[in-house]
Amino acid sequence: MILATHLGKRYGAKVAVDDLSFEVRPGMVTGFLGPNGAGKSTTMRLMLDLDRGAGETLFDGRRFGTLRHPMREIGAVLEARAFHPTRTARNHLRMLAAGSGIPVSRVDEVLEFVGIADVARRKPKGFSLGMAQRLGLAQALLGDPGTLILDEPANGLDPHGIHWLRDVLRALAAEGRTVFVSSHLLSEMELMADELVVVGRGRMIYQGKVDGFVREFTRSTVLVRSPQASALADALRRLDGVSVEPTEAGGLRIAGADAVAIGDVAFDNGVRLHELTTTTASLEAAFMTATGDASEYVAVAHG
Amino acid sequence: MGDALRFEWVRLRTLRSTYWLIGSALVLNVAIALLVASLAADPTVDVVAAAVTGGGANAPVPMAVVLLAVVGVFASGHEYRYGTIQPTLTTVPLRGLLFAAKVLVVGLTALVVTVVSVSLNVAATMPFWADTPSLTDVTVIGYVLLAVLWAVVGVALGQLLRGVPGALVVLLVTPMIVEQLVFRLSYVPALDWLHPAVRFLPFTAGLQLVSAAGEASGGLASEVGLFGRWGSATVFAVFVAAVLAAAVTLFRRRDA
Repeated sequence: MILATHLGKRYGAKVAVDDLSFEVRPGMVTGFLGPNGAGKSTTMRLMLDLDRGAGETLFDGRRFGTLRHPMREIGAVLEARAFHPTRTARNHLRMLAAGSGIPVSRVDEVLEFVGIADVARRKPKGFSLGMAQRLGLAQALLGDPGTLILDEPANGLDPHGIHWLRDVLRALAAEGRTVFVSSHLLSEMELMADELVVVGRGRMIYQGKVDGFVREFTRSTVLVRSPQASALADALRRLDGVSVEPTEAGGLRIAGADAVAIGDVAFDNGVRLHELTTTTASLEAAFMTATGDASEYVAVAHG
Repeated sequence: MGDALRFEWVRLRTLRSTYWLIGSALVLNVAIALLVASLAADPTVDVVAAAVTGGGANAPVPMAVVLLAVVGVFASGHEYRYGTIQPTLTTVPLRGLLFAAKVLVVGLTALVVTVVSVSLNVAATMPFWADTPSLTDVTVIGYVLLAVLWAVVGVALGQLLRGVPGALVVLLVTPMIVEQLVFRLSYVPALDWLHPAVRFLPFTAGLQLVSAAGEASGGLASEVGLFGRWGSATVFAVFVAAVLAAAVTLFRRRDA
């Protein structure tokens, strides 16, 4: 169980993390979602006492800095390539094991587990991003910790690798561990996460179940086709909170009213309908809606 | 502390540059010892000191000492150069403790390497000289101390400047260019007010530790008013302590 309260970090006048409080529960994978620059990495660095800022993070009631052997309780990987390029993967882990009272046999075990045992004695400077991510995961699992904190662990993995990571994280969570994984891609979180913590511009946008996020931030729209489209559009615009956009194919896209209401309006006005389709936005669309105005870098179309 | 020391010890041993730097220091010193011993049949105390301490106070800085300082710079600077500070601090989160472990491991390594190096140098002079140079000579002790202080200040500079290149520049440019320049300029009549400052140039003062006569820079100590061996050693030690204090204070305060 991780309990973060009032985390905050500013660089001069710029606020990177703004009063974030959340909890990450054991037994499930919690996704930490937000666009690039939303403050996810800074938040994780604050949680691990790497950055100095406001707030407090408790891991099962204790601060990170008070843990005797943090590696044996919290496995953290914040950067994919945080190793010396000429120190072998095995030696890198041996070094961390030596600082945590972990036996060397465990090093070979985790290297085997993440599938890079055959390159364990090679210099990691030639590692692909995917191999580096696997070494990172091996590092996180070294102390067999009850809590995992991983920053963008799927970045650089091929689709096969992402599914493997999903299975690994779900299995670890099923053993009762607390798993907190960040990503800027909702598709990854759709695969891996049970719960979400969504941030934009350092602020909390949503915390809860993945499908709850979709429901809260999705506006279902209805596509209508009718030979009397303009009459229907006029009738619908008279209703409160309904917006009507003509589509390129000559139909209407209606938001703010469901198919039942639209069908009734059409019947009352004697309008014939050729199509009435409800479209539910994907998780991807929900994400865009939720973080759209909180996105750090918004592309602006000119002309 | 035990965990932090074990971490640092494995870190040092699993780095190839450690072996290159220490190996170079040992080989280079033996080469100097062989050269000096083979050329001087009837050595004065200066020559003996030069053979045993890898050039002694004649070189701007004894080469082996610089190489050990680089081992020190790598101990802290590599963490930032390669981003390993994150896994390091999530393994050993107490920063003061981690820094102390780095200083201790590097300092002890420098101590052992220098003692071994001096022994090898003495062995190299044996075929040429009738009298075996003493290992307990005050110059030898000063040399070992100088090497430890340089290695430690290397760790401190790597940490303070959070990287390798900046620390190396400070470590090489300060004694070899800046202090030399101040030292020479103090001879210009218009700049003779620099004289009192010369004795406080930290690296110049440190070099007094290996001076066979208790004074460095060509026997000009009395002329420019340098302190004697242990007075100068104190100046250098205070400088090293100040850099250490600044490094550990900022390390604890700043973002990693």
